[in-house]
Amino acid sequence: MSAALIARHEWRRFAAQPFAWTLAAVAVALMAWQFLLALQAFLALAPRLGGLKDAPGITDLVAIPLLRSFSNLLVLLVPLITMRAIAGERRTQSLPLLLAAGIGNARIVVGKYFGAFGYVLAILALIVAMPLALEFGTALDLGRIAAATLGLVLFASALTAIGILCSTWTSQPALAAASAFALSSLLAIIDAGARMQGVDNGGINYLAMPTHIEPFFRGLVASVDAIYFILITVVALALAAHRLDRLRSVAD
Amino acid sequence: MTPAAPILALEKVSRILAGRPVVRGLDLSLRRGEVLGLLGVNGAGKSTTLRMIAGVLAPSQGVVRIDGEDLHEQPGLARRRIGYLPEVPPLHAELTVEEYLDFCARLRALGRGAAAAVAQSIERCGLVDVRRRLIGALSKGFRQRVGLAQAVLHDPELIVLDEPASGLDPVQALRLREIVRGLGADHAVVLSTHVLPDVLACCDRVAILHEGELRHQGVLNATEGDIVLRVGVARAMTATDWRRVPIVVAAEPMDAPTEGRKWRLRLHAGASVPTLAAAIVEHGFGLEELRAEQAALEETFLAIASGGTVQAAA
Repeated sequence: MSAALIARHEWRRFAAQPFAWTLAAVAVALMAWQFLLALQAFLALAPRLGGLKDAPGITDLVAIPLLRSFSNLLVLLVPLITMRAIAGERRTQSLPLLLAAGIGNARIVVGKYFGAFGYVLAILALIVAMPLALEFGTALDLGRIAAATLGLVLFASALTAIGILCSTWTSQPALAAASAFALSSLLAIIDAGARMQGVDNGGINYLAMPTHIEPFFRGLVASVDAIYFILITVVALALAAHRLDRLRSVAD
Repeated sequence: MTPAAPILALEKVSRILAGRPVVRGLDLSLRRGEVLGLLGVNGAGKSTTLRMIAGVLAPSQGVVRIDGEDLHEQPGLARRRIGYLPEVPPLHAELTVEEYLDFCARLRALGRGAAAAVAQSIERCGLVDVRRRLIGALSKGFRQRVGLAQAVLHDPELIVLDEPASGLDPVQALRLREIVRGLGADHAVVLSTHVLPDVLACCDRVAILHEGELRHQGVLNATEGDIVLRVGVARAMTATDWRRVPIVVAAEPMDAPTEGRKWRLRLHAGASVPTLAAAIVEHGFGLEELRAEQAALEETFLAIASGGTVQAAA
């Protein structure tokens, strides 16, 4: 109940901040531009694709690349959304409002998480709506788009939890954003060297986020990939709650 | 008749921060209807003590009890029973006063009573005219009042105020004192400050902290040579009435101007307390209270701040 209250309050605060609207506008504009470019390229290519056997469709050439591109943007976007969650409260010294309200640390963290995650999901919904709009004029592979969307939701959840965790480490929102970006980027490229060496099935590959998001883009929903993102989310939120507990033990 | 059990009790409370003891073996108690002034120089441990009382910070040793219950064991007690205004009010600048207080009310689990509590708190703290304005656009005085409104809107038994008049102009500070005095009538209030007039104007009891230790507690007794007195009379008085008493140099009201029953009087040098008492009786003002405290309190505070110790007064 308290977590839901905090989450709703976070949404209200997002709605009252020009920064949040600007961020959403920039993200949607960027993706809309990419979408239109991809659509134009597809229309130019379509006559030649018609004669090919098993030719890629608009889902392969427009929808999925757009969603994959958005996953890259999320690595940058989410830290900017989550940076104020706790760090901003500490900077403006408003955190005691929550700490003195007799709410558990876990509920505060979960409330902040859902507040930020709800905002990320709203942007995601706008992005997914772009390729879905093509359904009116052509046949999309809706199953594959659904799988990719589910992958993005899980991916965004993990990034949001990492952002909330980083936001508990400092009272400087910019530093929180930078550390969340660094940590998310590390998880995104941690197996890049191994892949260059031809290793694509080792432990290090399992740690990397692209290993688990790519199957969703191919239309494969595997529980191992979903569990990976859920695990990151839960661990990051647990660490954030623990950090909040530590904040009660030191003057802040 | 036995006195009511204390709402707040600190038992041998200590707090270590960064390896340094900030509060040491603190014992304090507070009952409903009392306003306790926590005095001390900067770094004396006042804010840390208040954070522990509010449940924001856990004690390293000792127990903070709210109505007999251990606050650290049952943090939920803080939700309804404690109102806390930190030194910097915990505000959300992007919201209006009403939106913010509505959130605070729901945070304190007021449920359906939230709207009524918000309205009452807005009225009580003089925020009616700014209720729909963004908090970020308010003056410091109003923001302080919004902070106070969030601390009292759930009608807590214990109100914890950390330097509530800090940075306010004299008019705003006076208004805030009136609000705190009003709250003290039916709540237990702990007020931290290093401003002596705030304590004199608002508090029933004083505790002086120095280097994390309680060095003095209680109401200071009059001492010989005091020339500033706190006087309570039965009749509603004005400053003009006091001019009829020749030994009174200045008279300052300590309650609401319309009541005129509690005054701070400055006497001519050499005037004695019995002389004043006799004059008040002679004029038929109805003497109810007479004590000298400012000079004594100031003396005690300065003695402690400079490293001395004063025995606790009864």
